[in-house]
Amino acid sequence: MKSRVSLRGKLTSEIPTSSMADIAFLLITFFMVTTVFTAIHGIDYGLPKKEMSSNIKPQESVYIHLKASGEITLDFVPVSSMEQLASYIKGKMEQTQGRKPVILRTDPEVPYGVTVEVLDVLKQLDIQNISIPTQTDIELWKDYFRD
Amino acid sequence: MIIRYRTRPVTAVIPTASMADIAFLLITFFMFTTSFSVDRTDVQLPASVVQQKVEKDAAIIAITADEGIRISDGIRESELVTDMAKLESILKEIVQTHPSRQFIIKCDKRAPYRSFNTVYEMMLRNSIRNISLLTEKKG
Repeated sequence: MKSRVSLRGKLTSEIPTSSMADIAFLLITFFMVTTVFTAIHGIDYGLPKKEMSSNIKPQESVYIHLKASGEITLDFVPVSSMEQLASYIKGKMEQTQGRKPVILRTDPEVPYGVTVEVLDVLKQLDIQNISIPTQTDIELWKDYFRD
Repeated sequence: MIIRYRTRPVTAVIPTASMADIAFLLITFFMFTTSFSVDRTDVQLPASVVQQKVEKDAAIIAITADEGIRISDGIRESELVTDMAKLESILKEIVQTHPSRQFIIKCDKRAPYRSFNTVYEMMLRNSIRNISLLTEKKG
């Protein structure tokens, strides 16, 4: 006797997707927590290539000195405020069609924030030729940086 | 004649079939926009009016108020360096591998200028020309 086995209830292959949404939301939570959207900004300080750079003497430029005592001198004359500094430099730049370089010298003990504050003033005046001498430069050129 | 209407109970169902699609769409968005911060040094940045957007993947040198220095090549997490010779060797390595990479100086406004000068001189020695000084927006 032959026995017949009928397969009425067909077996269908399925990928279990019930937990997919849970996994997806878990991933979303991870990315939402770790994402940083803020673009960072700063003051660009591009330096010329070595062959294009030249030595500038304080006498041939606008010379700003941020002293350890908190005093700011401009062409060896003390200034009391950033506004005074800005108006003086603006005047100088108008006289020389903006060609006069600016040297920004900072004493080692001065907080870095003060240097950036002055640099920001210079950038606002759209001065292209800004020179920040290093301590080694100052040592080498100490005859010119006497004040 | 009496007509009887069969009333079937109405059940409230929130359609969840498209939920996975929406979720994956959001994942894709976050995956493409995510950028992991390579340096989380806590510094008080100086403020400025003039600001330019810095390049993505720029190398970062962070200087804290107590003159601690951390460096990152823009890809790897920043590391603390106590030895200046080591800092210079890392700088050289970055310049050799990525010659056109921008360098960001993330210096605390209370840090003495001498610590900035140390890093600045080192950069000049290694012919790094593309520098950005990280600031906060003033006002």
